[in-house]
Amino acid sequence: MSHLLDRMNFLQSKELERFSNGHGQVTRESRDWEETYRNRWRHDKIVRSTHGVNCTGSCSWKIYVKSGIVTWETQQTDYPRMRPDLPNHEPRGCARGASYSWYLYSANRVKNPLVRGRLMKAWRKMRETMTPIEAWTALQNDPILRASYVETRGKGGFVRASWDEATEITAAANAYTARTYGPDRIFGFSPIPAMSMISYAAGSRYLSLMGGVCMSFYDWYCDLPPASPMTWGEQTDVPESADWYNAGYLLLWGSNVPQTRTPDAHFYTEARYRGTKSAVICPDYSEAAKFGDVWLNAKQGTDAALAMAFGHVILREFHLDWQAEYFEEYCRKYSDFPMLVKIEDKDGRMIPGRFLRADDLDGKLGQANNPEWKTVALDETSGALVAPNGSIGYRWGEDGEWNLEEKAAGAEIALRMSQILDEDHDEVIGVDFPYFGADATEAFDAGDRRPNVLTRNVPVRRIQTAEGEVAVATVFDLFCANYGLDRGLGGDWVARHYDEDVPGTPKWAEKITGVRADKIVHVAREFAQTAEKTNGKSMIIIGAAMNHWYHMDMNYRGVINMLVMCGCVGQSGGGWAHYVGQEKLRPQTGWLPLAFALDWGRPPRHMNSTSAWYAHTDQWRYETLTAGEILSPTAPDGDWDISLIDYNIRAERMGWLPSAPQLKTNPLEVAKAAKAAGREIPDYVAEQLKSGDLEMSCEDPDAPENWPRNLFVWRSNLLGSSGKGHEYFLKHLLGTDHGVLGRDLGEEGRAKPKEARWHENAPRGKLDLLVTIDFRMSTTAVYSDIVLPTASWYEKNDLNTSDMHPFIHPLQAAVDPAYESKSDWEIFKAIAYKVQQVAPEILGKETDIVALPILHDTPGELAQDQVRDWKAGECDLIPGKTAPNFIAVERDYTAIGDRFCALGPLMDKLGNGGKGIAWKTGSEVQHLRDLNGVWEDGPAKGCARIVTDIDATEVVLMLAPETNGAVAVKAWEALSKATGRDHTHLARPKADEKIRFRDIAAQPRKIISSPTWSGLESEHVCYNAGYTNVHELIPWRTLTGRQQLYQDHLWMRAFGEGFVSYRPPVDLKTITKEVRDAGDSLVLNFITPHQKWGIHSTYSDNLLMLTLNRGGPVIWISENDARSAGIVDNDWVELYNANGALTARAVVSQRIKDGTTFMYHAQEKIVNTPGSEKTCKRGGIHNSVTRAVPKPTHMIGGYAQQSYGFNYYGTVGANRDEFVVVRKMKKVDWLDREKSWKAPAQEAAE
Amino acid sequence: MDRTLKALSLVLSYPTRALQAAMPEIGGVLAADTRLTAAARRALRPLLEELGGRDIYALAEQYVMLFDRSRTLSLNLFEHVHGESRDRGGAMVSLLETYRAGGFEPVTSELPDHLPVLLEFLSMRSCAEARDVLADAAHIFEALNARLVRRESPYGAVFAALLQLSGARADPAAVAALLHEPETDPDDLVALDEVWEESEVRFGPDPNAGCPVSRDILARMDAPAPPVPPAPQHAAE
Repeated sequence: MSHLLDRMNFLQSKELERFSNGHGQVTRESRDWEETYRNRWRHDKIVRSTHGVNCTGSCSWKIYVKSGIVTWETQQTDYPRMRPDLPNHEPRGCARGASYSWYLYSANRVKNPLVRGRLMKAWRKMRETMTPIEAWTALQNDPILRASYVETRGKGGFVRASWDEATEITAAANAYTARTYGPDRIFGFSPIPAMSMISYAAGSRYLSLMGGVCMSFYDWYCDLPPASPMTWGEQTDVPESADWYNAGYLLLWGSNVPQTRTPDAHFYTEARYRGTKSAVICPDYSEAAKFGDVWLNAKQGTDAALAMAFGHVILREFHLDWQAEYFEEYCRKYSDFPMLVKIEDKDGRMIPGRFLRADDLDGKLGQANNPEWKTVALDETSGALVAPNGSIGYRWGEDGEWNLEEKAAGAEIALRMSQILDEDHDEVIGVDFPYFGADATEAFDAGDRRPNVLTRNVPVRRIQTAEGEVAVATVFDLFCANYGLDRGLGGDWVARHYDEDVPGTPKWAEKITGVRADKIVHVAREFAQTAEKTNGKSMIIIGAAMNHWYHMDMNYRGVINMLVMCGCVGQSGGGWAHYVGQEKLRPQTGWLPLAFALDWGRPPRHMNSTSAWYAHTDQWRYETLTAGEILSPTAPDGDWDISLIDYNIRAERMGWLPSAPQLKTNPLEVAKAAKAAGREIPDYVAEQLKSGDLEMSCEDPDAPENWPRNLFVWRSNLLGSSGKGHEYFLKHLLGTDHGVLGRDLGEEGRAKPKEARWHENAPRGKLDLLVTIDFRMSTTAVYSDIVLPTASWYEKNDLNTSDMHPFIHPLQAAVDPAYESKSDWEIFKAIAYKVQQVAPEILGKETDIVALPILHDTPGELAQDQVRDWKAGECDLIPGKTAPNFIAVERDYTAIGDRFCALGPLMDKLGNGGKGIAWKTGSEVQHLRDLNGVWEDGPAKGCARIVTDIDATEVVLMLAPETNGAVAVKAWEALSKATGRDHTHLARPKADEKIRFRDIAAQPRKIISSPTWSGLESEHVCYNAGYTNVHELIPWRTLTGRQQLYQDHLWMRAFGEGFVSYRPPVDLKTITKEVRDAGDSLVLNFITPHQKWGIHSTYSDNLLMLTLNRGGPVIWISENDARSAGIVDNDWVELYNANGALTARAVVSQRIKDGTTFMYHAQEKIVNTPGSEKTCKRGGIHNSVTRAVPKPTHMIGGYAQQSYGFNYYGTVGANRDEFVVVRKMKKVDWLDREKSWKAPAQEAAE
Repeated sequence: MDRTLKALSLVLSYPTRALQAAMPEIGGVLAADTRLTAAARRALRPLLEELGGRDIYALAEQYVMLFDRSRTLSLNLFEHVHGESRDRGGAMVSLLETYRAGGFEPVTSELPDHLPVLLEFLSMRSCAEARDVLADAAHIFEALNARLVRRESPYGAVFAALLQLSGARADPAAVAALLHEPETDPDDLVALDEVWEESEVRFGPDPNAGCPVSRDILARMDAPAPPVPPAPQHAAE
């Protein structure tokens, strides 16, 4: 039978068979192409998370997961929609963040707990016969064994350890340290909690339960602008990025929004479509410069001069020759312009002194409560002196008048801003203002040879005080004189016209900054005109470039003055937008109890890092900046000729700044002795300090009793990135190879400190144990004794907020932590339980003594209206008043783990609060018991459980007003009591809203308005700082209660910063004859901005980033400078000064201004870094050529807004005044001749 | 079970005292496998002796330094194939599915592409399949061998042995591409310079040609790094 007829010759059936009643068919066609798409999009779940990459982005991402492996990620696009007239937030998330996911599986990840091999070997040997405590004790008591691992730090030699072993060593070391030296010798450093608050809280909670020290970061990073606390009593509070869109005029000053604020930059673009004008000020042709309608390329470090010239024009045209009504009214109500200042007579010279206070006047204006803290002004209506509502004296000890209503003693008032009219002043006198413009070093010399004191005429009234007759002037009149404005009062150093070269004028600024005077006038005029027409919609976006200078306060106050003069602060679309490292932890008051274990013991130990590292890395031993160089020629009499560390010691002694360690004697022993003597702890400590039997640790940082012994670093690259004075860290704190080139004060024969004890031989290797917790082998990890592998951002549950947008969203564990890693929460929990297990051998229930500085936002901030040092016999030592307070805190080292995992009893007992207000929170604690469960027995019996990281997030969300409407109402009620005005309407509509972790997992949520912040989260305005001060009449938390443009503290006046002025960068003297090689002629100012091809300060070792950049460290220099030193693009160059050396490739670019070199910060030395010819060591990081230099005005305390707060006030790590020698390298040496894994230098490089 | 592959999986694992104790047995297996040339077996001896006799801490330090910390010596094969590219996740899922299809479920904290994991899996597969998979990774073995030899590390011999077992000759171009990577070896300054070199910008008549710098970067990122198909994709077929 033939099939010929049945067979198809030319066609083939497409379909083979059908099934499912014809709904399905089997065909022959190849569907392989579908694989491509399947592979790309394959997932079995999508999880919302974000990158906590130390950037303020806070962008929501979708993570695609298949079989427990991350396969893909895309930006989320489901942010809640804002108002109809506002562009929406999407898309957020940038290419840098996107490059992260594959870091998850990178070969750079730390896979197992690692311990330095020599330490591990000794430990295991000892553990065969000894308990953990005995083993650690034996190790520390054997100098050879200790040195064997200390001196090999940074030189490799890690072995893997089990979690049990690694946590056991850590716990034993911590317990030993607490018992032997005191718990305050256990330090922990972790930055920026907002990006992963539970991870931060895990470590800080553990440390706080132990009595260890949590170190600050915002000030150390030099991202804190001290001008903000000085002016507003607030750390930093800024508009969200969406508010840029509402601005009428945008001034970008030292900020590079398109490069560093990628997910927010669209608002800047959109604002320009709306018609907003923009000026950009930066020395280089940055990516932002091309967005500007005008670009002012001011010389780096001279911004204050530019700001003063802007201010000069604004004052002239909008306050003097013509008075803009809106500006006048704003300044009268919201600034200290009307407040009266006493003019002090110093040997016949008249100098601006303290604010006049009610206390100065007979009868104290009827003020019985805090009259020395109530400032005085003149009321136009009654013609009498009054103490207006709102000054800080009204904040404490009474209720109802701490507000900005125009009232005093219950009566309506109208304050007089100026006494310029003939009938308003008694006479015109010459008042001295310091002038620093002529002190410039060679690189900043503009040929200015003016005297250092300028006397200008000011109208004053003479009034009777309790101490006799004094002349008083308004802040405004002094302010105008300081800006060099001629007001028809005659005298010198004032100008009528902009083209006169008088300090303050545009012409003067042109010489210093290099910006043409007509451009200055043009921008100032437009800025003010816009503000005048729009009621304050002029905004200044300001960046690190302005803040990293030694005299950053002058830059910032110059800018703030412009904004206040133009009524911009607190107005939607206006104000001060400082986006430098500060990430806003929105649910702050919910987070604090968890993070610092306030539920178990108060207060925690906080330390300002700049002062601590300055002392403990012995950078003070190399200090070449003397107080005389920065002191004002108008300084009041006093003992000012001491070194910078001496100032810090005095500040610690007077309770201004915190201390760590605190007492030279172990506080656990001191508490025992006090108990044995039957004395109260504060009295006992005070008596012993006075007698000299007890010493404060700060007076002798090099004594072994005062060394920090254990250090935890987590979520941070302290040594690779933020460590100003990197080489000093290596030399003294770590005790390993270093590249310090200069000599210390002893070797140099310079004057030594008076207060700090000098040891001929500086210690090396102060730390017994350095533990780093990270998911990658960072520079810090390379130098550590123990490295613990932690979960990355797709492997843990956490919370994330930003100042750039008003939403809170989660990090979620899309996959389990890779390799052996664990989340930070689990790691510290494990260490806590381990301590509980090993410590009872030497520690039980102990009484600890915590030295607490005088804190801002507490009644204590009214401690010292005069500066008096008890040790100099100027006053008695009264804890909490003239010295730190000494507070007994009960610790239970046998229950550290149990306490870690439970919400302790103090929340019920003492309640919660923040920024000076408090409320009861019992109902929230009960909710947490119901939600998280309760411990049935054990030391935490009856407490809510906090076992998992999600439990921990619920604690934060439940306790915080920002995420729990009921708490928000309570918080506003508490504030309403103080101000006497009802603010609860701001939260009532959201009273029933409670945001839980699963809510934000579903979609980012907008937070609830709370008095912790000065802006509103409303349906009508974008978040903008100072909004509730202006619109709800809540005072700023300053001495005057207003935006304070005059600073009257003794030290502020002594250092010439009562008012703003231009102060040239300081001379750090790091290019010495000894250090500089003959023939090296190119000396450049060393600037370290944020980079484009790295994720903020960290992940530049990502291969994608390295590919997009040049694959290793680079510096940028101008064509002219390069030519002068024979450098061409891509050459290897070496930069050095007395602090150390670094190597990099040169990028030669027209973008850079002559005289400067840029090195983007945080390019790590673990990547492609050859050896330095100068040090013969692996070339350093950007901080190898820097050293921290603290400033006395940042140490002020006990004085209203100038009181300490963690990350709020304190010394800062400025680093842009530094100069380096730049030279071409003769040959590139990778230091890898010894081809063995033991080669130390190579190890550090890998 | 292919005891040779299993032995090599052990030799490439983190050294422990248990491993040290088992070294005589492991050495015996490797010495007896005639798929390896006498020279290859001889070359393995220094490593086997070192693992058997040297101080365990020195061994551990060496292992961590080589394989945990040097990116270019990573035992995670996809590090050398996909690096930090977005294909890595998908490739690992494929490999995981291969293990599952073969009847195994990974119970380790190591990722699926960890070489000892793969070797253990292959030790339970047919010789032909094992050979095919190893052949796909030949260029990686060759490159790792070269890098380890340059460091004078005895571990190089393991990769030479794997190469022999694969029966393949590594594609020289693929090996060169791997050895060409910027962080490969700080010694190789010329190679390093080439990677860093930026192409010249020319403003030619064709305005759509694009910026040569970004074009080149994109091209480099797009290009499949090794010309040879990666091991697991084959294994998944």
